[in-house]
Amino acid sequence: MGADRQTLRTISLPRLVFTTVVLFSVLFLPVAEAQQASDLAGAAVDPLKQSPGRIVVLVFVRTDCPLSNRYAPLIQELSVKYARESSFWLVFPDKSKSPEEIRSYLKEYGYKLSALRDPERVLVKKSGVKVTPEVAVFNAKRELVYHGRIDNLYEDFGRSRRAATTHELADSIEAASKGLPPPIISADGVGCFISDLQ
Amino acid sequence: MKRLGRTLAIVALFLLFAAVLSTQIRSGPAPQEQTSTPNLQVTFNRDIAPILFHNCAACHRPGEAGPFPLLTYADAKSHAGQIAFVTQSKFMPPWLPETGDFKLADELRLSEEQIKLIAKWVQQGAIEGAASDLPPKPDFVEGWQIGKPDLIVKADKPYHLPASGTDQYWNFIFRTPVNRTRWLKAIEIRPGDKRVVHHANILVDRTESARAQESSPGAGLAGMEIKIESETFDPDSHFLFWKPGTIPYTEPDGLALRLDAQTDLVLNIHLQPSGKPEWIQPSLGLYFTDHPATLFPMLLQLENDRKLDIPPGERDFIVTDEFTLPVDVQVLAIYPHAHYLAKDMQAFATLPDGTKKSLIHIAKWDLNWQAVYRYDSPVELPAGTVISMRYSYDNSAENVRNPNNPPKRVVGGNRSSDEMAHLWLQVLPHTVPGEASDPRRLLQEAMARHNVDKNPADFEAHYNLAAMLQVRGAAAEAMQQYEMALRIRPEDPAANNAFGGTIIASGHPEAAVQYLRTALRTRPDYFDAHYNLGIALAMQENFKEAVEEFRAAVRINPRDANAEANLGTALAEIGNLREAQAHLEKALAIDPNLALARDNLEELKRQSPGEKP
Repeated sequence: MGADRQTLRTISLPRLVFTTVVLFSVLFLPVAEAQQASDLAGAAVDPLKQSPGRIVVLVFVRTDCPLSNRYAPLIQELSVKYARESSFWLVFPDKSKSPEEIRSYLKEYGYKLSALRDPERVLVKKSGVKVTPEVAVFNAKRELVYHGRIDNLYEDFGRSRRAATTHELADSIEAASKGLPPPIISADGVGCFISDLQ
Repeated sequence: MKRLGRTLAIVALFLLFAAVLSTQIRSGPAPQEQTSTPNLQVTFNRDIAPILFHNCAACHRPGEAGPFPLLTYADAKSHAGQIAFVTQSKFMPPWLPETGDFKLADELRLSEEQIKLIAKWVQQGAIEGAASDLPPKPDFVEGWQIGKPDLIVKADKPYHLPASGTDQYWNFIFRTPVNRTRWLKAIEIRPGDKRVVHHANILVDRTESARAQESSPGAGLAGMEIKIESETFDPDSHFLFWKPGTIPYTEPDGLALRLDAQTDLVLNIHLQPSGKPEWIQPSLGLYFTDHPATLFPMLLQLENDRKLDIPPGERDFIVTDEFTLPVDVQVLAIYPHAHYLAKDMQAFATLPDGTKKSLIHIAKWDLNWQAVYRYDSPVELPAGTVISMRYSYDNSAENVRNPNNPPKRVVGGNRSSDEMAHLWLQVLPHTVPGEASDPRRLLQEAMARHNVDKNPADFEAHYNLAAMLQVRGAAAEAMQQYEMALRIRPEDPAANNAFGGTIIASGHPEAAVQYLRTALRTRPDYFDAHYNLGIALAMQENFKEAVEEFRAAVRINPRDANAEANLGTALAEIGNLREAQAHLEKALAIDPNLALARDNLEELKRQSPGEKP
């Protein structure tokens, strides 16, 4: 008997936990959990669960990083160019930047993209990015197919080409849209260290 | 009343000034070098803040060029790893010269100990430390850096910098707001948004030549290196320089810059798109002094642009030039300049005893951080010293800054895709009071001869040498050089006018006429040529035609007292006394001390006492 009760108890425990999780998510879903990225209204968003069947591109930027600022027109342009096959998200990993500050930044730089805050760097970790600006490209199956620089305009701080000669982001979107692997899976970007952020 | 003004139009005026702006704010005593003990905990408050406040915060603070402030722990923490990285790579603080034989003023360089300390701070987790260790925040001057300027001029309209694209070079033209000659001890350049302005130069344009290149008045013009065309020999265009962190350098008494009425200041700025559209509207603050210049530094230029013909793929293309000083000088400042292919730039002084000293060495040239460098104390170089430059260029694909992809042949020129090989030195020749020969003249003549030797087919080299010879009265040799210049460019108005002027001065006005007419054929609104032709005709007593030339001259420049006086005098000669008197009076109104006008007006009144105006 005792053994039976024992068994019952062990079975019931996971059920309880399961129930709690469900309840918890039902109750708190509209509000961002500390461990998730959120949109500027504060709602939790997992961009990888959105846009089914399409490519997801996460673009990591900071408001106070001159290198990611300089890329703003190109990022916006690529998001429009590849709007059919992909959805672009701007991701701000800086905990100290409020939604208001980010909104005015988007306006200033002419961004029309959806922006996410990633204060706990959930998306940073999933993407394997290290600096701003870097990007992560997830294919329709949500496999990370490319992460790193947008192109090779910058070779180092203060050392830039007149124009980029390789275009890793565009190439990987085009490959992913055809179901192919990208020419390169990763290339380090030049920019502001995400690890410096709180 | 035979006296006519024999004043020749000015053919050569030498601009002898170069003000160099110093960089970096001195916001207190230099921080003491930290000796890093291996086990010591490095903290922001005690160890890092003094380094950042002293070396970085001048630019890394709100409103300045740095893209983010570095004034607080939070500021530094949010870029800590990046700070360690860029200080180790020597990208920051930006300072190109290697340590050389002569100390440069306002060096912006961290010591190896400071760099290591920052790295260690980051390794240890970028700790804040005890609040009591934090030094006071640096005390920066807001707004105009050296006080309220005596005069402020602002660009008429802003320049629109697009959000993206390659670097832009733009020129704003400011009319100097003075109605008489003033002496400037400093100019502060406020370039507009400092985050996008990489550097700026002021070119002094005494002949409105930049203005003439505008598409419409006030439009400004594009261009990396604009040419200030000038009959007045201008040894340089780079007079005043701004880069991020610059505080204007106030010239000591005696070293002021002459600023005349009707002079343009051309502000040439290098802009980098920021990612959003920007509107740049610079202003200049002018600071005057009552002390006219008594010391006259001049700019020496070594260059060899004609030797720049760099094949694609060439990784180490060398260009050199050397010049022997004819007089003792003090070198005050140095400005190496090239475009995107240069990698290593060196300048040396080889003293008469054979000792070779490095004047400057930039091992990793970066156009973006170019600067004028002032020596901490003047470098004394005796006559006979050989100044030499040696620049190396990388036109391979490995040079990421190569403007051409794939690389292609690059030659000397003004565009950013062309190259340059320039070295400017601001020197102060030793002037011996009371000595007849001005050492500046010797220096300039030697420079001009050097250029003629270097580039015998160069029009400007011959023209400039001729102008200098003419000024010192070596008319025969001047004429030879003008002839050589005219063989290269037979129609050139400035050379024809100057040659004509020299011929008049040598007493052969009849021979000058053809050259002056050639000058006017190419440039009908050329004041100097009309004036000189008037003189040549008047000297041949052809007053009727002379009057027409002087009339043309005063139409072009109604503020020239000599032209008015000569017009009045020539009119008197053909009996048009009433009009003659009016022009002589006009001349006196412009310049009450003009003897020609005063004497001739008295003479006129004496001869015709009955004719009252």
